Parts: sequence; C-alpha cells; structure tokens
Amino acid sequence: MRPSRRLVGVVAAIGLAAITLAACSSNNSSSSSTTSSGGSTTGSVRTGGTLTMGLDENLAGFNINTSAASEYVLQEILDQVWPQPFIVNAALKPVLNTQLITSATSGGSPQAVTYVINPKAVWQDGTPITADDFIYNWQAQSGNSTYTDIGGATYDAASSSGYNQIATVTGSNPTGGAACDPGSAADRNVGLCPNGRTVTVKYTTPFADWQSLFGNLVPAHIARTVGWNTGFAGPAQTISGSWYEIQSYTANQSVVLVRNPSYWGTPGKLDKIVFQFFSDDTQEVPALQNNEVQLINPATVNTAITQSAAQVPNTTKVTVPGLEFEHLDFNEADPYLAKLPVRQAIAYGTNRQEIISHTVGEVASGIVPLGNRMFVASQPQYVNDGSQYDTVNPSKAESLLSGLGFKKASDGYFQPNYGPQSGQDLTFTIQSTSGNSTRAQTEQLFQAQMKAIGIKINIQNYDANTFFGTNLPNGTYQIAEFAWVSTPFPSGNQSIYCSYTSSSCGQNWLHYANPAEDKLLAAGSSATSASQETTDFNQADKLLWNDMATLPLYQKPQYFAWSNKYGNVIPNASTTGVPWNANLWGLKAS
Amino acid sequence: MLAYILRRLVISIFVLFLATILVFLLVAESGDPLALLRANPKIPHRVILARENLLHLNDPLYERYWIWFSHAIHGDFGNTVAGQAVRPQLVSHLLVTLRMVILATLISIVLALAVGVYAALRQGKVADHVATVTNFLFLAAPVFVVGLLLKEFVAIPINEHLNRIVFYTNGEQSPTLSGSFFSRLPDYAAHTALPTITLILVSYSSWAIYQRASILETLDSDHVRLARSKGISPRRVLMRHVFRNALIPVTTVIALDFAAILGGALITEIVFGWQGLGIWFLNGVNGLDINITLAYLLVTATFVILFNLLADIIYAFLDPRIRYD
Repeated sequence: MRPSRRLVGVVAAIGLAAITLAACSSNNSSSSSTTSSGGSTTGSVRTGGTLTMGLDENLAGFNINTSAASEYVLQEILDQVWPQPFIVNAALKPVLNTQLITSATSGGSPQAVTYVINPKAVWQDGTPITADDFIYNWQAQSGNSTYTDIGGATYDAASSSGYNQIATVTGSNPTGGAACDPGSAADRNVGLCPNGRTVTVKYTTPFADWQSLFGNLVPAHIARTVGWNTGFAGPAQTISGSWYEIQSYTANQSVVLVRNPSYWGTPGKLDKIVFQFFSDDTQEVPALQNNEVQLINPATVNTAITQSAAQVPNTTKVTVPGLEFEHLDFNEADPYLAKLPVRQAIAYGTNRQEIISHTVGEVASGIVPLGNRMFVASQPQYVNDGSQYDTVNPSKAESLLSGLGFKKASDGYFQPNYGPQSGQDLTFTIQSTSGNSTRAQTEQLFQAQMKAIGIKINIQNYDANTFFGTNLPNGTYQIAEFAWVSTPFPSGNQSIYCSYTSSSCGQNWLHYANPAEDKLLAAGSSATSASQETTDFNQADKLLWNDMATLPLYQKPQYFAWSNKYGNVIPNASTTGVPWNANLWGLKAS
Repeated sequence: MLAYILRRLVISIFVLFLATILVFLLVAESGDPLALLRANPKIPHRVILARENLLHLNDPLYERYWIWFSHAIHGDFGNTVAGQAVRPQLVSHLLVTLRMVILATLISIVLALAVGVYAALRQGKVADHVATVTNFLFLAAPVFVVGLLLKEFVAIPINEHLNRIVFYTNGEQSPTLSGSFFSRLPDYAAHTALPTITLILVSYSSWAIYQRASILETLDSDHVRLARSKGISPRRVLMRHVFRNALIPVTTVIALDFAAILGGALITEIVFGWQGLGIWFLNGVNGLDINITLAYLLVTATFVILFNLLADIIYAFLDPRIRYD
C-alpha cells in the first residue's frame, strides 16, 4: 500500500499485498467495450499489426522488483514479458496463468503452496523455467541478509511482504523424470532441487495473499550473472518468459515488444506492441488524434484531457474508478482529534458527494462516496460500511461537539473547554500536496463545510517529498488529505491500520490503536480461505468506521482511450494496467 | 585579446565553482531524496541503508560535496537517486536538446536578420508594420501556446488531409525506426519540424526586433551618411557599413540567448515529448537529485561562459576598434 500513484511506482505490481480498491465502472465512452466480469476478450481479432500505447513515465531500469524501478509503467510493459503465475484481470481478480502454471494449490498447516510449472515453459534463450527461478526470486526478496546479490551487495527489493514469511522454496519432479539437481552452494540452494518443475513454497506463518507473490519472475540464471540490483538495464538482460520479448529500448523514448519465438503457448495476436513515453500526459490526446499512438491511459484525468479526447473520432473512451482513493487522515495525537466525537462530527459534516461533484465528478459520472477501505464497489467483497455518513448531517455533527461540552461562540465556531484551544475557536489545519488543483478544491470545500458545523479549518500544503517523506511519517499534521494506491490483495492494509505502537505498522501515521482491529487484520492476513479473508477485512473496516479512523472520500478515476480499429482492449484499474491481456489485442477481424 | 579571454575564463571558472557549492547546499538541504522510499514500510531497511551509502547521504555535507567535485572534474557525475550513472544520461539528454536548439538557432538567425533588415529598410511601410506586429505577436506568445497551436491547427489537419503522418507531435523519432542514416532522415525531419518551428518562432522575433532597431540606428549614423555622400552604391553601404555594424548588438543578444534557449527549451520539450536537458533537470529537481541538478548546472553554466566568450570574439571581429588588451 503506497501513498499516491505513479510517482512512487508500484510495489512489485500485481505482487504485493496492499489495499484493495477498484472499479464501479462509470462509462462516458462513445462505444464502450469494458467488461465488469474480468473477461479478456471482447471480439475476434486478426493476427498481425502494431499497436502503440502512450506511457507517462520513463524507466529507471527493468527489474520492477527493485525499489528503484518499481514503476506502474514498467509493470505495463512487463505484463507481457516476465512470467506471472497469476494475472489480475479487469475485475481485479487474480486468475491463474495456466499457460505457465498448470496448477497452484494452497493448504496444510503450516501453509504450503504447490505450483506445477508447464513442462514446456522456457525463457526466451531456451533455459527452462524451473523451481530455481522461484528459489532465486524468494531469496532476493526475502529481506534475509544471508542472501546477497553479486559482489555481496544487499538485494534491493521493492518489498519483502509475504516473501519474509516463507520458510523454504523447494523443487521436485524435473522434466522427463530426470533426477533432481543437487543445487549450488554458491546460490544457497543446495538440496532444493532447482531443476524441478514442481515448486513447493512453505510458509512460517500463513499468508492469505500468496497469489500475489512470484509475479514478475526474474530469470534466475541471468540475474546471477548480471546482478539483481542493477543488471537488468535493457533488453539484453530482460529476457522474456512470456508472450512478447523486448526487441528494443530507446531510453526515454520507447520500448518495442515483438512476439517471443520461444513462447510455448498461444502466441500474441499483434506483431508488435510499442510503448512510447510522454513527458506530459496531456500531449497524449493530440498524439492519439494524429494516430501516433492508438491507446492512452494518462495519469492525469481532468476536463482538458477528457474534453479534447472527446473530439477524437473513431475512438473508445472509458473512465474507470481506479485503485487509488482519496481520504482524510485524522491524527489522533492531536488532543481534540483524539476524541471520537470530534472525528465523527467532522465525518458527519463532510459532504462527500459535494466534494465529488466539484472535483472528479466533472470528468467522470457515477462516482459515489467510498464506503470501504479494504475493497471497492465492483469487487464482490465490497460492503458499504460507512452508509451512515453518506448523507451530510450538520445537526448531528453539532450535537456531538456540544456533547463534549464545547460551546458555540458568537462567531459560529465551537470553543473547547479544555486543552490548548480552551476558550478559542476549534481550529484544525488540513494539509496535502501542493500543486494539485483537485486536492486544493477539496480542501476549500472541506473548509466551507466545516465552517458550517462550527470548526475552523486552515489549509497548508507542502511539496510531495516534504508531505509524504516528513510530515506524514513524523506525524506533524492534524488532518491530511491524500490517496492510497493499492493492489487487489487486502493484506497490505495491516501496516496502515494496526496499532501504531507496533513497529510493523509503519504506515499508521494517524496514531490509531485498537487491539480488536489488530486481531481482525492479523486474522485476515493469515486467513487460509478467501471468504475468511474477506470477512475479517470487512469486519476490520467496520471497526474503522466505528472508530472513524479515517474518512474515505472517493476513488480516483482512470481514463482510457483507444482506436476503434483494435479489439480486446479492456481497461484494468489494477497496477497490472491495461496491457494485462495485451497478448489478445489485435486489429478487429471485420 | 588572449589575456582578456584567459582572465574571463578564470573568473568564470571561479563563479562556476561557487555556483556548484551554492546549488549543492540548496538541493542537499531542501529535503531527503529517499523520503518516498522511507515512507514505504515494505522496502526493507537494509535496502534504504544501501542506497544511503551509495549516495553518501550519511556523510557530512562538505565531504559529500568534495566527493562529487573530485569526481566531476574527471567527468564522473556520480549516480542518480535511483542508482544509475549520471553521465550517460547527461550526454543523451544534451544531444536531444542540441539537435533541436542548434537547428532552430541557425534558422532563427537567418530569419531574424532577413526580417530585421527588410523591416528597417521599409520603415513605416506596410511591410514594416506587418513584420513588427508579427514579431511582437510571437514574442508575446507563450511557447506552449505556439506549440499547441502548431499541433492542433497545422500538423494534425495536414496529416488528416494527406492521410499519413507528415508531422509527428511527440518524440524525437519513431520507435520502430531502423535502416541507414539517410533512410532515417525523413523520420527525424518529421519529428523535428514542429519543435524546431516553435523555437524558431519564439526566438527569431526578438532578434528581428533588435536587428531592425540596430539597422535603423546605424542607417542614421554619421559614417553611413558620409559613405552615401561619397557616392558609394546603396548595396555596398548596406552590406559594408550598415549591416556589419548593426550586427554587433544582435550578436551579443544571440550569443547570450543561445545558452538561455539551451536551458530553457524545457517547455518545448514537454509539449513535443522530447527528452531533453530541461525535462531531465526538472525531474532531477523534483526528485531532489543533487547529482542531476549539479550536472545540469555545470553544462548550462559552461555554455553560458563559452558563448559569452564567443560573443566577445565575434565582437572584435566585427568591429576592429574593439580591443580588450
């Protein structure tokens, strides 16, 4: 779970456990083909052709599992290049990639996951995809100092979540009944049967989101030669184990994918998929109009983009609520925000629908206040746990403040009867990132809404580095407005909402603590069944509403536009991105 | 002259040295470049430590500066916050910007001189008014407006009319470009046309205005009147006595502007998706990346110094009366 979206990258993309947010699809397209079922095709396409997609960030390397290169745009490229046992579909559901893994089962106590690799699966250079790749990827991301990169360097892992709960990764059943390779001492895989095609992953403690691991499998035989941290600098090292291989990479300009001739399964439809980089995503629309690109997914979604794209003929335009949601963070270290009635009063006084109407509602219809921090409306797990706050209720807010003994002064503001603001107008400062007009508008609306219930709000914004890097981690704020971005795996919520007194709850900047919440989050994260995980996390969310730890506002929309000449382009709001099914993209048959 | 140039060089290098210290301190003190990584608890602590060591973030500021400086004078500008070497990036981005800026500057000079002289010789006539209004129009127009208008009302309609891409609106070249240099040339031209025209339009206008004023001033000078009274042909008066003298102030402006254009082509780069020096610098500043910021500063400052010197040398060439010794 990470604050903000593309600027800070994705934590190992489809991999890592993080909060779930997704899509109640609102569609303002001329001819939408979005499916909510998560299906990967919309019609027949023919083989051949090229599609160019605009991307809005440059690359910092090709190993997305490192902190330096963990970027959303790189995930979009690697969707079709590095093997992924599970692919997050358009319905934000992880689906087994059966062309790579014929079966994956989880069970037992302690939890053990068994992957059976397709015996035909090979890397682009002909090297079989085996247990060795799983062993290496686990070791590199385990956070265990026993394992080091070439030259003894510390492995740079974007995340060790889940991997640090693994006890062992072993192989068995090498192809053709061959004997198990004894493994190499240098690689610390002695006795692990690295040439095995069946992989068994044993966990020390149960990990509910086990499907999130081993996405973007790095080729072990290459990584051991060039190095995990900085070795994957271009196409020569970033060999494919999937539908497409990287033909060329021109720094800051483009990445060209062509079909991987070594791919063992059903080949991709397009001859080439080109990713072209844009330094300003507002320039993607003219490029779409000029047919320089045929698919765009700009990071910024505003009326300038949507209105200009609306003028581009023969294109499909779709707005999908994404996996990013804005919210208000209440710092309970503040003597007044520590009081539940104060937080509840703020929540009752916040007209979330009005905020939506004046911000993201201008570019996308159908966005409603978010009622869950763990799941979003289009996910079957979603429950609106915060329905009592759907309608603004100023009188309830004022009665809550009066109930604390606060008196309303002649200027219309409540005055506390204790603490540093005793006898003064109840005042809070809301802060966010500067230079973001949507957030600025939200703050101004919030300021006016709070004035209506007798709370004075000051606005103070900071640059992203100060805000995310200093103010939030240090807790030097009262109310903060920012976004969480996530993947469909909810276990990442644990570090945000578990009691801040625990060192493992590093993202709980709001000083929230509730042992009951801790138990629910821990149970959800270690649940061995999906239904139990859902139940636990929804109960945890309900408790957060009861405690009014944070106030979710709305999901931020993602915008997609593409040429009608192409079929099977299906937006995906997860960090997998729209190329999740790019192997099926193609020029329409008719 | 040589002594003057050497003196100027020494002073410039000293100024550059002070500038690097100042910029280093400003950037180093403006925030933590690893702040976003630290905010993410999923990143193991030892990964952060390794990055801190790589960037020498735990060393005292003076040590960090010395490490940077001692390497920079050997052409090693260190690593970015993401751990990549700065020098290859610098070269790559610089070449992109130079390709656009050099071409635009050369054409702008020719255009500015032609328009300036033409307008001056037809002072007060329709042609002069048209040229002057046009010049001020482009001078006043923001670069991004010119760029966007060219895209929207020139490139895209032409492409749609011809049903093929004559003008590209983004990037320096097509991603799938291959073949010999000459076979790639049309593609380069199609990508370079719009950003170059944009830079030309916003650059030439001010130079043309200078040139016009300079010509008018020279035309009114005593030595020109004398030349005319001696019966020298108007063409010879113009080329030998007016044009050459009128070039002196314009030369200074152009020489100084070139360095400014080099560093200030940022908006053009953004509008047309060119990954030039400006965008690289902007990303470096946003990411609190000291090594990128300092490398950029060194390059642009060096260009400023070099072109100042060049202006002085051309000065002396154009006007033999000018001697610095």
